[in-house]
Amino acid sequence: MLEEKDQKVYARRGESHVEALRAAVSGAIEKVEWQCEDQLTVTVATDKLPEAVHFLYYKRDGWLPVIVGNDERSLCGRYAAYYVLSMEGEDPCWLQVRIEIDPAALTFPSVTPFVPACVWGERELRDMFGLIPEGLPDRRRLVLPDDWPSGLYPLRKDAMDYRFRPAPVEDVENYTFLADTQGKDTTVVPLGPLHITSDEPGHFRLFVEGENIVDADYRMFYVHRGMEKVAESRLNYDAVSFLADRVCGICGCAHSVAYAESVEKAQGIHVPARAQYIRAILLETERLHSHLLNIGLASHYTGFDSGFQQFFRVREKAMDLAEKLSGHRKTYGINVVGGVRRDILSEQRLATISVIEELRRDVKELVDVLLSTPNFITRTSGIGLLDRQIARDFSPVGPTVRGSGFARDARYDHPFAGYADPDVQKIPVATADTCDAFGRTAVRIQEVYNSIDMIQTMLENCPAGPILTTDWEYTPHRYAIGATEAPRGDDVHWTMLGDNQKCYRWRAKAATYSNWPVLRYMFRGNTVGDAALIVGSLDPCYSCTDRVTVTNVATKRDYELTDGRIESLWFDKSPLEGPGAPAAPFDEEAL
Amino acid sequence: MLKLWKVNAKTGDATVKYPFAPLETNKDMRGKPEHNAEMCIACGACAVACPPDAIHMDSDLAVDSITWSLNYGRCIFCGRCEEACPMGAIKLTEEFELAVMSKDDLMSKSVYTLAHCSVCGEPFAAAKEVDYAARLLEAAGGIEAKEAARVAGVCTDCKRELDAERAAAQVRTANTTHLGLAAPKAEGRVYLGGHGLNPLAAGEGSDDAKEAR
Repeated sequence: MLEEKDQKVYARRGESHVEALRAAVSGAIEKVEWQCEDQLTVTVATDKLPEAVHFLYYKRDGWLPVIVGNDERSLCGRYAAYYVLSMEGEDPCWLQVRIEIDPAALTFPSVTPFVPACVWGERELRDMFGLIPEGLPDRRRLVLPDDWPSGLYPLRKDAMDYRFRPAPVEDVENYTFLADTQGKDTTVVPLGPLHITSDEPGHFRLFVEGENIVDADYRMFYVHRGMEKVAESRLNYDAVSFLADRVCGICGCAHSVAYAESVEKAQGIHVPARAQYIRAILLETERLHSHLLNIGLASHYTGFDSGFQQFFRVREKAMDLAEKLSGHRKTYGINVVGGVRRDILSEQRLATISVIEELRRDVKELVDVLLSTPNFITRTSGIGLLDRQIARDFSPVGPTVRGSGFARDARYDHPFAGYADPDVQKIPVATADTCDAFGRTAVRIQEVYNSIDMIQTMLENCPAGPILTTDWEYTPHRYAIGATEAPRGDDVHWTMLGDNQKCYRWRAKAATYSNWPVLRYMFRGNTVGDAALIVGSLDPCYSCTDRVTVTNVATKRDYELTDGRIESLWFDKSPLEGPGAPAAPFDEEAL
Repeated sequence: MLKLWKVNAKTGDATVKYPFAPLETNKDMRGKPEHNAEMCIACGACAVACPPDAIHMDSDLAVDSITWSLNYGRCIFCGRCEEACPMGAIKLTEEFELAVMSKDDLMSKSVYTLAHCSVCGEPFAAAKEVDYAARLLEAAGGIEAKEAARVAGVCTDCKRELDAERAAAQVRTANTTHLGLAAPKAEGRVYLGGHGLNPLAAGEGSDDAKEAR
């Protein structure tokens, strides 16, 4: 019986999922459409949404990178939400579950209680479009700041000009940090909001009991730049690849390729093979410098600063290589819709081969030094455990999820650009099963070697030919996904072009967006001293601040402690002071 | 630990003397764009291509000028201007030291004179661009190019009007001579159709035309 099922041949990619969904959730499917060979959208009845997403996620090996909201009132009279699922089991494809939301009611059933990975996506839908996920337990804002007026939803087409800056409606930050403290009386240690080496500032609150972290909560989006709105209103679609280059300071090329791919797939553009290889070679160059940066920082976090400096020295070679190939150390600016702007000439090819050989030698030497440093392995082992079930529930990406034994990697699950090359596919996915900070660093070390192998293979196999095509017709309102494997995980872009040479909707999901929600669980059970290391093992990097806040968990009131106050508390509350003085906890009245 | 010492000893100095000695740049790098004002014809292709709007074309009708400007503070060094320029008048260089004491020093400007339409007299393009287009067409040779060169000094709106009148005149002739239809009674200028059958003529009572409709 099973064999028979296995042998069934489907005409199109993803059709097996549609059939299974039809059988499992009766009457859910309203419409099925393919955007390109391996991408399809299934429009479902709004009330069947949680059931459908839950089925595809847990029963069909689906993972959820992003939820895309779209104001389609001018197209079909309603709002739409796309739950993008990366199907990574049998019959791999991108499957989007689409619902239409009535603009009068503005509500839809929340999927988060069934699939936790939806939590950020649904909170963002509410912030940006005012669409209310009914049953979503977390009612706090995600993206919009505390002082943003209520009722102003930036991504609605009729809401606001992209240059409009509403007057702040609040003077104080009123975001509530939540924690499951299991009845323990905890002290709150803040990390943030400003950090010296991070891509995006974030504010963390660790709820600690003594030295141990009981729970943690955090607030991001302090530097939300409104890029999606700018792309939709000001830029032409062909300039957006340069804006995408600037989504991230490290993995900009991955965003730029993802954007270009999303447009190319939607418009049915056949990118020349040589351009595909050049994109992949640059993506791997980007990975080299990004991973060497993180391995350097991992040395720094564990107190091995000489190693940190050595890794950064070697990383320079990868940066120089990027400059040689693209013209810049970062923000390569190489992608346009239809191909790339710069060819790899034979002189550059030879230079690349010699640089990667040098890198292979240097990195191996430094990794030997790092791993033989006595405290590195002991300091990172067993720290920041990412439980496999938590990982399955929240869909983290990149070395974070690969360090917990899942071989998720867009380069292999959904080969794009030059990665479809059979010789590249032979290079195995790097994974580790220790689930800890060490495992994630080990994955990155292996990926540096893999990247070097991939660059070499692709330089050898890169076919001759054109690097750009302009042979295509612009068709408005077609949409598709473009996904790349950035150094930190998959960057997923969703683009629909409008009838004015601009993006009707552009959704850019950065890799770390998928990794933040699991961080809370990675903190639990570790000590305050490990916090920076754990955040660092995700790949963004943070330092601690010199402020301490004390929270009474019952009343949720915060008090800031100045240096003088800490000092006086130290003396007032010292257990050495007298027989009656309690050591802990601090009580409000004393402040 | 010994291994690390070995690496350190082998590496020697990893730093360079910059800024006390010049920094060697990569010849493939994308640095400061340099504008050659003499070669530029002020066509504005770079301003259209520029993703961050660093390049502007601003006309001042009071003094009959159009100003090309590049704000290095906005420039992202992508090189789209270099690709778009038909004259090779803008090139990315290896220069990267762009720090200035005053923000105004980040602007580069070139001023060009505007040309006036020989029909309506309104300013419509830079004189250099019009002149270049005319010379290019003349050099190209052939009747069509000659004809185009003759009206190079006419603005787009006037050209469109001239074209429309000419097309209408041709249709009038074609209708009467080749298709054997009666000449339209209305003026050629209000002719709207495109398939040789004049809707105005049809509206005016020819029975055949009515039936056809």
